[in-house]
Amino acid sequence: MQQKEITKEEIAAIFPKVAQIIADALGVETADVKPAAPLIEELGAESIDFLDLVFRLERAFGVKIPRGKIVEDARGDLAESDFEQKGVLTEAGLRRLREFLSEVPAERIKTPLKSADIPKLFTPETFCKVVIRAQRAAPASA
Amino acid sequence: MSERFSAFSFVDRITKLEPGIRGAGRYTIPPAVAQFPPSLVAEAVGQLAAWVSMSQLDFRRRPVAGLAGEALFLADVAPGQSLDLEVRIQSCDEEAVSYGGTASVDGTRVLQLKDCVGPMLPMEEFDAPEAVRADFETLSGAGAPPGRFKGVAAREVKVVDRAPGERLRAELRVPESAPFFGDHFPLRPVFPGTLLLDTQIELALQLAREAPPLRAVAALLVPMRVSDVKMRSFTPPGQVLELRIDLQSATAESATVGLIARANGKPVSTARVEIAPRRVS
Repeated sequence: MQQKEITKEEIAAIFPKVAQIIADALGVETADVKPAAPLIEELGAESIDFLDLVFRLERAFGVKIPRGKIVEDARGDLAESDFEQKGVLTEAGLRRLREFLSEVPAERIKTPLKSADIPKLFTPETFCKVVIRAQRAAPASA
Repeated sequence: MSERFSAFSFVDRITKLEPGIRGAGRYTIPPAVAQFPPSLVAEAVGQLAAWVSMSQLDFRRRPVAGLAGEALFLADVAPGQSLDLEVRIQSCDEEAVSYGGTASVDGTRVLQLKDCVGPMLPMEEFDAPEAVRADFETLSGAGAPPGRFKGVAAREVKVVDRAPGERLRAELRVPESAPFFGDHFPLRPVFPGTLLLDTQIELALQLAREAPPLRAVAALLVPMRVSDVKMRSFTPPGQVLELRIDLQSATAESATVGLIARANGKPVSTARVEIAPRRVS
């Protein structure tokens, strides 16, 4: 089933809260959290920070975000072997990732891209979209 | 005597287990140890959560220290006392376990942990899965022999810079060898994050005692709450850690102190501790 596209307005509506959570998790100023800033390169995030971020977002928004969900969602209905080969994304995988991470400049998603390096592309906007998808999947009880 | 399952093990018996949901256990602080700081009470609760989560994943993976949203130190404990430990698992998968828990003495809660997350790593990097499974069977049955923990030697800490009541810089020289490395962990010695935290809290107490708003109650100050603990990397034996202890705020009621540990310029851990005069009941 085709997911309804996430609008800029939806992202803008939750960005301030997500930015505050990212700032708390990374120990940076909220003002430094820009929607398109890659979290690893520009804000020094490490893998433990992504784990922290996911749990903080779950608590703050009352949603469930399964671990590994971003890459799994990016792959969508593509078979794993069509998405990546020996840990490197295929052309089809790159196309799918460009669509999925539409907030990331397309020129950053180029071959050779290891699937393990996908988190280097994540931005605050990526996590806004993760939250919105999780809210759509299971709306929080009022 | 082998250090494994003894020198840094703080669950004597698992008394209740609902796989993937909750667990209860008991630990008696050996009467012979000089002291048992609140960080080790937190370690005991964390170890119970580790047993519950490892058994759920059939001992393929084990959690390591990662995140602790909040630890409330509600009362001191003393050697000889028995801790009743409880954990509630919020989620557990191949990547991480999240949990909360408590420790109580004679029905009085002495510690509460909230929003803790332990990244799950392959068991064989740290210990032999079959040996850990056997230990779990021991704990779930008659229990392990009490009195296995013999205490921890004073850590080697050198204060290198200080602005009284404002900040303190120190070096912690992690020992090359110590009994706890044989247990934490048998195949990969790692300096326990709770011992690092205990060292940092001691320095934070020194700093808070010098803060002008709290000088009048300096002798009564104790750590009350630790929050936003994040362990970023493992500390191996022999590592020198740079400790940065900074007063973030202070009133006549409490002080908040930021704790950062670095190794070779890279952050190893961050946390915050709230220090206040001991409540008199």
